[in-house]
Amino acid sequence: MDLAAIVNLNHPATYVHWHFFQMSVSNLVVIVLMIVVFAAAIAVPFRRHHEGDEQ
Amino acid sequence: MTEPAPSPAAKQPAPSSWTARVREWGVRAMPPERLLPDSQPAYMSSWIYIFGVLTIASLTVIIGSGVVLGLKGPAWWHYTGVGHFFNSIHLWAVELFFFCMVIHLWAKFFMAAWRGGRSRTWMTGVISFLISIVAAFTGYVSQQNFDSQWIATQAKDGINATGAGAFFNVLNFGQMYSYHLLLLPVVVVGLVVAHILLVRRNGIVPPLPLSDLVKARPAADGGERAASQAR
Repeated sequence: MDLAAIVNLNHPATYVHWHFFQMSVSNLVVIVLMIVVFAAAIAVPFRRHHEGDEQ
Repeated sequence: MTEPAPSPAAKQPAPSSWTARVREWGVRAMPPERLLPDSQPAYMSSWIYIFGVLTIASLTVIIGSGVVLGLKGPAWWHYTGVGHFFNSIHLWAVELFFFCMVIHLWAKFFMAAWRGGRSRTWMTGVISFLISIVAAFTGYVSQQNFDSQWIATQAKDGINATGAGAFFNVLNFGQMYSYHLLLLPVVVVGLVVAHILLVRRNGIVPPLPLSDLVKARPAADGGERAASQAR
């Protein structure tokens, strides 16, 4: 590989472990990001083009 | 007492040609004005409604990059920069596909989107989600690298324990590649097309009725106050 990854991937994955719960940090980041995007999609107002489009 | 007027459909005899019957059935089931509407309800003006179409956009990129990878063969992406590029496009489109699909799923779950005769829309979505997981899994074991070998050797024990290993052998590259390249994409695309047609026919699910929310408030005048505040 000529190109280096943005994040150094040349090591085993880092895990979080809490009682029975175990998950890689990368998977956890994706899930947290999904929750943030979900909340933002509800909270951020949607700009309308013009009122005539409404039914 | 007068006889009721016969309906227009009763006046016309059924067409003798099967093609005409199929056409009439198709137009009745999927009226053109519903298939390609020129307006949508006002409650759709929210970002939460875009995740279905983002999932379809990701699926389009997956299919396009997958066609190129399939035409060039499973080893191409290992030794050429262009092949590696298309493999990366394929992988990241899958990541976006699941990212958007799960947000779409959460949104539709909290909207109770199966209401109003939309159970088939909901179920085609659920089944296409489950089949997509199997499609992604067969892609992981078709990578032909140490990662796919590790996944396949770990997964075989689990799949053998379910009894499915007799006809779904994750160590058989040809079988996994066939599933990934043809069988599962055909099922996923077919289900997604059915899902979209059902959404078009039945329309977007309206918001939950305000009366249900007001019922939860015990105050005597709470209902009217809550309704006026919501307006």
